[in-house]
Order: sequence, then C-alpha cells, then structure tokens
Amino acid sequence: MEIYDIIFYLFAAITLLSAFFVVTSRNIVHAAFYLLFTFFGVTGIYVLLGADFVAIVQLIVYVGGILILLIFGVMITNKITQVDIKTGTVHTLPAAIGVGLFTGIVGAVILNTEWRIVDSPMPVATLSTLGEMLLTEYVLIFELLGILLLVALIGAASMARK
Amino acid sequence: MRDYFLKFWEGLYTIMIGMKVTFRHLFVPSVTIQYPTVKPQLPERERNRLYVNMDDCIGCDQCSRACPVSCIEIETVKSTPGDDLGKTSNGKKKALWVTKFDIDFAKCCYCELCVPPCPTDCIYMTDVYEFSEFERDSLLYDFATLTQEEREIKKKNFKEFQVKKEAEKAAAAKKAAEAKAAAQKEKPNAKTDKPTDDKKGTD
Amino acid sequence: MIYEWLYNITGSSILSMFVVSLLPLFVFILPFALLAVLAERKVSAHMQDRLGPMRVGYHGILQTVADIIKLLQKEDLVPAATDKKLFNFAPLLVFAGSYAVFAAIPFSSIFIGSQIQLGIIYIVAVTGLVVAGILMAGWASNNKYSLLGAMRSAAQIISYEIPTLLIILTIIMITGTLSLYTLSELQTSYFWNWMILGGPATGLQKILYIPLMIIGCLVIYISTLAEVNRTPFDIPEAESELVSGYHTEYSGMKFAMFFLAEYANMFAVSAIVAIIFFGGYQSPFGYLGNAIGLHWLVPIEQFFWFTAKGLFFVFVQMWLRWTLPRFRVDQLMAFCWKYLIPISFVILLLAGLISLI
Repeated sequence: MEIYDIIFYLFAAITLLSAFFVVTSRNIVHAAFYLLFTFFGVTGIYVLLGADFVAIVQLIVYVGGILILLIFGVMITNKITQVDIKTGTVHTLPAAIGVGLFTGIVGAVILNTEWRIVDSPMPVATLSTLGEMLLTEYVLIFELLGILLLVALIGAASMARK
Repeated sequence: MRDYFLKFWEGLYTIMIGMKVTFRHLFVPSVTIQYPTVKPQLPERERNRLYVNMDDCIGCDQCSRACPVSCIEIETVKSTPGDDLGKTSNGKKKALWVTKFDIDFAKCCYCELCVPPCPTDCIYMTDVYEFSEFERDSLLYDFATLTQEEREIKKKNFKEFQVKKEAEKAAAAKKAAEAKAAAQKEKPNAKTDKPTDDKKGTD
Repeated sequence: MIYEWLYNITGSSILSMFVVSLLPLFVFILPFALLAVLAERKVSAHMQDRLGPMRVGYHGILQTVADIIKLLQKEDLVPAATDKKLFNFAPLLVFAGSYAVFAAIPFSSIFIGSQIQLGIIYIVAVTGLVVAGILMAGWASNNKYSLLGAMRSAAQIISYEIPTLLIILTIIMITGTLSLYTLSELQTSYFWNWMILGGPATGLQKILYIPLMIIGCLVIYISTLAEVNRTPFDIPEAESELVSGYHTEYSGMKFAMFFLAEYANMFAVSAIVAIIFFGGYQSPFGYLGNAIGLHWLVPIEQFFWFTAKGLFFVFVQMWLRWTLPRFRVDQLMAFCWKYLIPISFVILLLAGLISLI
C-alpha cells in the first residue's frame, strides 16, 4: 500500500461518510456543512485521478460558491433547527426492491467487467489541453453554455429588481 | 462618465493624503509617558494626599468642621496647668492635647476645603498621589503624635485635674455658701441673690 | 527543491512530505505571526503618537510571546447554547484554509510546498474553505453578533473574489501561466521585468501595459485587503458594532487559531500581490551570490527579498488601517460592484487587446 492509496481511501471515506451524514442529519445546517466535506473529498479524489483543473474548479464552484449560497439560504430560512425533516421510512417494500435491483445490477457490472489495471504515469497538467479542446473541438458547446449562464444571470437580476 | 473617474481619482488622491499624514506621525515623538519610571510634571496647585504638621496643630477642629465628607476626626483634651505644650510656629500658644487626628483617605474627596480655615496652616496638600492600599482600613491615617499611652495619661490627667477642680470648686462653693449664710444672717433683706447662688453651688 | 533534498537524506517520501508540509508553519507563519502582532501594535501606536507595548522585554519585544502563553493557559470555554461540533471545528477549518494557501506560495526558488501548475487558482479556491469556516463559526456561536459578522464576511469575501479573479485572469492571459513559480521566474533579474512595469514584454507593448498593471495592482490590493477583512474593510469584525464579529464567543487557543489564520492570510495576500506584480522572490538588482560566485547564497537572498516584499505590503495594510475609517456595508458593496469590477473588466479587455499587438 502506497501513500497515495492511503490518501485515496482517506478521501473516499470522507466523501462517503459525510454524504451519509448529509442524508441522515436532522439539522439542516449540519447537513449543509457535511456537504462541504463531501465536496472536499470529491476534490481530493479528482486530484488523485490527475484531474487537477477539475478538482480546483470543483473547489471554487461548489465550496466557494454553491455551498456558501446554500448555507446562506439555509441560515436565512426561519426556524432552522425546529424544522421537521422527514427522514422516516415510508414505502419500505418498493424501496427495498428498487435498491436491491440497483445494487444487483451495479454489483454485476462491477464483478463482470474486465478491469484493466494500467500503471498510469505521473499525471501531467491538464490545463492547456483542456483549454485548447474547449476553444476548438467543443467551442459550440462552450459558447452555448456561456449564453445559458448569461440568460440565467439576466433572469436572476431582473427577478431581483421586481 | 467623467464624474465616475473623477470620483475614483478623488478617492485615491485623498487616501494618499491620509497616508501621508499617518506616515508623518510614525516619526513624531510619542506623547506617552512611561508612568512608574517617568513621572508626569504635576501642576503647581495639585491636590493630593493631605498632611498635618502636628507640631503646629492647636486642635481647633476647624478643618474637621469644614470637611464636606467628614473624613477628619479630631478629639482633644484640655491641658492641665502644669503642662507645657509649646508654641506653634506662628507664635500661638497651644492649649489642647490632640489625642486623635484621623483622616480617612477612603472618604477624602481632595477638595482642599480643610486647608484655608486652619489658623496655623498646619494642614496642607502634599504631592504624594501613589498611596493605594489593599485594605480600606489602611487608608485611615492617624496623624496624632502622642502615643497611645500618652493619650491615656493625658486623658487621665485631665480627669484627675477636673476632679480636683471640681473638688476645689465644691469646697469654694461651700465656703461661699457658708459666707453667704453668715452674711444673710446679718442682712436678711438680700434675699433676691439666693436662688442664683444656690445654682452656682450645685453646678 | 527542499523535498528532493529531504528525500535524498531520509529516503522516506512520507516523512519528507510531512516535514515539507510543516515547514512553512514553523519556519514562517508562527514567527511571522509573532512579529506581525507586535508590529501591528507598534505601528498603530506610533501612528497615533503612542509607544505601544514597552514592558515585556526591550521595547516590548516579548509581548506576543507573553500573550501566547496567556492564550495557552486559558480555559477552553464553550458557551452552553452553541452548536458544539461546528463550534469546535470552525477554527480548524479557517486555519486549514489559510494554511493551505502557503502550499503554493514560492518563498524562494527552492522553497515551495508544491510546484502546482494551477497555483493562483488553487489559492483562490482554498480561500473558499475560509469562507465556509467563518460561516460555520458565526452560526455555531449562537450569537447575533457572530452570525451578523459571519454573514457580512462571507458576502464580502465572495464579492471581492470577483475583481481579484479578473485581475488574476488578466495576468494569466499576459503570461500564459497559472503557476506562481513560473510567474516568479518570468520576472527574473531586474525590477523592470516586474509585472507592474509591464513584465517580460518589450517595446510598445510594455509601455502600454504599465498603466494597466498599476491600476490592476491597486485593484487586486484593495480587493485582497477586503478578502482578509482588514480595515477599512473590517465590517465583519467591526468592534464598535459587532463586538468582534464571528470570533466573539471564542477564547483561548481557538481564538488564537482565528488570530493566526488572520495574520497568515494577511501575509498570504501580500505575498500574492508581491508575486504577481513585484517579481515574487526575485531580487530587483540581481544577486550578490551570482556576483561573487557563491551560488548557494541565491536562494537565501531570494527568501530575503520575498519576505521583504511581503512584509512591506503587510506594513501597508497596517498603515491603511490607521489611515482610513471603516466602510459602511452598502458602500462596501457599491465600491466592489460599481468600481472595482467594471475597472477590472476593462483592464482584462484592454490587456487582451494589447497582447495581440
């Protein structure tokens, strides 16, 4: 077991545990803060996979932006702690069937796939390739996304002015 | 648009001016006085702790009466004829033993009202201002110069003297009464003086 | 690189990694915080014609040491109505966020935590953790002042991140790199190669860059100042309004962690400005080590220049603190959205046009 394996399992544990707590926590604010660790763990896994730019964008967008907005939203709501979050179990039977099926399929896929283990070289910086790809091959999608975000921005601004 | 840039420039410019001022002050010698090591120059008429020069005190109680917070307590005993109390520096003859001269600085408000009435200028303000104590009782200053025994002796002396005087008086009164009685016998018409004389005798 | 050197000595990658990651803390942040707290008090005192701490050691040099001993001895007080888990975790998160920044800062050509390619963006990203930590502290304290302070702080940091990022984007566009190490290496040898004077560009381009870079430097300095909640942008911990903002309820070592994080942040943003615009660890006049043939001296000189530049900007932060009054919340937002962001957009655009020449 190398140090990178240890780090990987650490991040995986952080991600899974915190995701579990996000779902089960009865306090909305706690859930929101657990989400922070989920995002953080995912960032770590991205880094270990050699996707440095994606990792950092994950950190900027999710931790620095979306999560903060989420926490703001949660904090501004009235009665943060007294809200009854329904985490009781309903429809146990259909849920069990569904989950069982899903687990079965995923498990089957994992077990039956022939995983090829490749000694990957030390990950190199993906940034310049990513940038070139964005502005050549995927330029249309990139522009469309830009327009979508701009529309969303203008919409939000016009809604806020009302 | 022009306004916008002007505002921006003005903000920047005024910040620069402010920074120039603060930077200059970085090198202005500081006004802080390192108190316990360097003591500030006190004004000429500062009012601090009182001091009583007991050599000059005649025990007149003027200061105690002037005090607005009654922090001065004086007790005196009259001297007996044989005592020599000496004179004050301005030539007044002392006539009272001061057996108690307490100033409670926990009460004192440093108003200096006790100083002007003093006929011998024996109570005055000093420049001592560091006399904090851990207990309130320690702020009760006793200025009387007599020792505790001496005070008792003076009190006893005065009492004895008083008793003696009383006895003398009584004897004198007796004598006078006898003399009067003798005179009355001679002059029965002098009746009006009698009640007053009786009073004197009993006093 | 220090990591390779340690690896050669110890032969253990885990150990050398550990040592390298702790190095900035013990070699730099702690001594810096000790010094900066004292310097802050001394500078503020002298700017107000006072003396500041004078009793502990010669001219109060050991004052911060005494303060730290006091903080260590203090009882770890947790108010009853707080959200204990978050309350205890928040200082760690804030400190981790501000400490993580130091991983990418090149102190010298051999002393970098990680030669990460995305240096600047990484720094901007981990600052997000600080925001989350501040919000956590504010909410967990269960105190109206703390919550208000945290809200203000988060709003302020998020808003001022935009002009910072735009200026950084301009620099990225001109230099074509995100690595702070490469950025420092680009501005090598003499001060006219610094980005503030147009960087490594030549001719007309360089002359055209200069005004843009000066304004950009101002913008980024102001907005990073706002990001570390220093006066005049200290509304999150405005003493006269909010007691002390999000760390009102903290005492002892937890407070010390916030404090350390604040000072570490102060240096981090100063270092970013120094790296981006003032050549990072590069000496303005060439190196003495190269001139007299002692090449091992160069990294030490670089470390000296880097700290000197960083400390100068920290000093300017203190200087500004005692010059300017605090912003009002609406003024703060107006200043960011109406002035800094449009200006940085214009700079981005113009720099892009100029780079095409």
